Amino acid sequence: MIEIRNLYKRYHNHHGSDWVLRDINLTIPPGVNVGLLGRNGAGKSTLLRLIGGMDAPERGDVIRHSRVSWPIGLTGGFQGSMTGRQNVKFVARIHGGEAKVSEVIEKVQSFAEIGDAFDEPMNTYSSGMRARLAFGLSLAFNFDIYLSDEATAVGDRMFKEKAKKAFKDKIGEASLIMVSHQEGILKELCHAGIYLENGHATWFDDINDAIKIYHDATGGESKADKDTDDAPPPDLTPSDKDQAAKWLKEYRRQWRQQHTALKKARQLRLPAPEITARKTAMVTTRQHIDQLEAFLDSNPTPGGGNDTTNSPNTNQQEPPHS
Amino acid sequence: MAISSDTTHDQPQPGRPPWEVTRSVWSALFVREFLARLMADRLAWFWMIVEPIAFVAIMIAVRVVVLGHDAQIAGAEFVPWMITGLLGFFLFRENMQRPIGAIEANQGLFAYRQVKPVDTVLVRCYLEGMTRSVIFLLFIAVGALIQLDLLPDRPVMAMAGWMSLWALGIGAGLTLSALSALVPEISKLVRIVSLPLLILSNVIAPLHLLPHDLLVYLMYNPIVHGIEYMRVGFFPYYEPLPGTDITYLWYWALGLIALGLMLHLRFELRLKAK
Repeated sequence: MIEIRNLYKRYHNHHGSDWVLRDINLTIPPGVNVGLLGRNGAGKSTLLRLIGGMDAPERGDVIRHSRVSWPIGLTGGFQGSMTGRQNVKFVARIHGGEAKVSEVIEKVQSFAEIGDAFDEPMNTYSSGMRARLAFGLSLAFNFDIYLSDEATAVGDRMFKEKAKKAFKDKIGEASLIMVSHQEGILKELCHAGIYLENGHATWFDDINDAIKIYHDATGGESKADKDTDDAPPPDLTPSDKDQAAKWLKEYRRQWRQQHTALKKARQLRLPAPEITARKTAMVTTRQHIDQLEAFLDSNPTPGGGNDTTNSPNTNQQEPPHS
Repeated sequence: MAISSDTTHDQPQPGRPPWEVTRSVWSALFVREFLARLMADRLAWFWMIVEPIAFVAIMIAVRVVVLGHDAQIAGAEFVPWMITGLLGFFLFRENMQRPIGAIEANQGLFAYRQVKPVDTVLVRCYLEGMTRSVIFLLFIAVGALIQLDLLPDRPVMAMAGWMSLWALGIGAGLTLSALSALVPEISKLVRIVSLPLLILSNVIAPLHLLPHDLLVYLMYNPIVHGIEYMRVGFFPYYEPLPGTDITYLWYWALGLIALGLMLHLRFELRLKAK
């Protein structure tokens, strides 16, 4: 559990200073994954640093009742001229002396999967490789709360899956406080949300509410909004052929996405329920596709033989049945 | 050092005691600093030893060629007198200058809240003192082989002088590293001052040739006291500058160490944030 009481924070500089955070009062209960939302410069990283104890507030208190990780992010924590292994060793020594070092190295190596680059200087790494190492390093220690500052933003698909899985495995033992602009990952991993604006923080029990407020505040058409406009309604009764064709296209796109996700899940050897969940989703999509195709077949376009060439059976694989 | 600041509390938990945390931070930082120094460029370890040796050799050569060999120093041979002075002064100077870069170089490490700016300074000073001591021992060993009168006559006293200069350097390093985060120009100032200090510290030219009126003021410089004290430990018949007092140096050293630690405690966040 983390308690934040009457917290104020500002940074001093030569041009006077404004409050970055004003009078923040929050209690983050144990075992709840929290997503931090807000625009660039709203103070998300600052709040995360304060929670992590890297920085101290001007006024107020941060009370940590559990072991909190350092903010896992893209910057800091590593020395570029030293190899990944040396950097990992250093952090392992800080956190518990020589005895733990080999154990930590093993864990990090197996998570990061960067191969021989582990023994190369870190300034030769790509940002994705750094993210893998940073992530693996923090997971090698048993914290009660992990802090992530856009740690998954630069990783490839496989790494994101792996990171998500790692946190899902830790549910019950550890929780997560994450800053991210990727709504997908926020929705998937977080339960609650905190929205930061003008230095004030608002707590939402449901992350979806926080995302909604964030969208309302930032105005413009966000991608997620567009998706919901295009998305077919669940009851599936198209008014005309054009709409049916549009929905069909959307469902085929979804099916292809789900197909690659399933392949990835198999590659990563995710646990059985994960795989089954993905398969069921594919079956549902498949049913919708069949339904729409049937609708289009029953209302044939004069002289239009296009529908058969677009059928998923001809240009796509069958969904695997097993 | 693992002191939790007064506004942020870590609840007591089955964690490690503060001293243990501090110790593991120091040992980790030491290994890191040592490796970084060794791997800075190719043959870095070679230059670590050869650079001060070469510098001393050049200084001695210049001194002998320019001023002739007949500089008289009561009770000590000229070359060993100069070696002790140069090595003693470098010990102080390096401990004063290196920490200024230490905090900036290790900025990324403050992500781990166990690591405090003062840790990086202390570890760097320790490493610096250790390497300088090894170099000094090398000088003494080689000197003994080529019959240079460089074996200390009173080893304990010589060592006490060496340690005093080290402590003075650590004090200056602690204070200046904290101040340079508040006033960035300090690091430039320190570099400008270090050459005049070398001349004023009785290292190259014997100061006892100066008139007494002037010497009184030069004796306010604590470095001279340490170097003279150490030389008395080396050379049995050496006449130190009048007014040499190792206690005076220790007032400075302890004062600077206390001031430096206080500054680090007070401005810890400014040093981390920078």
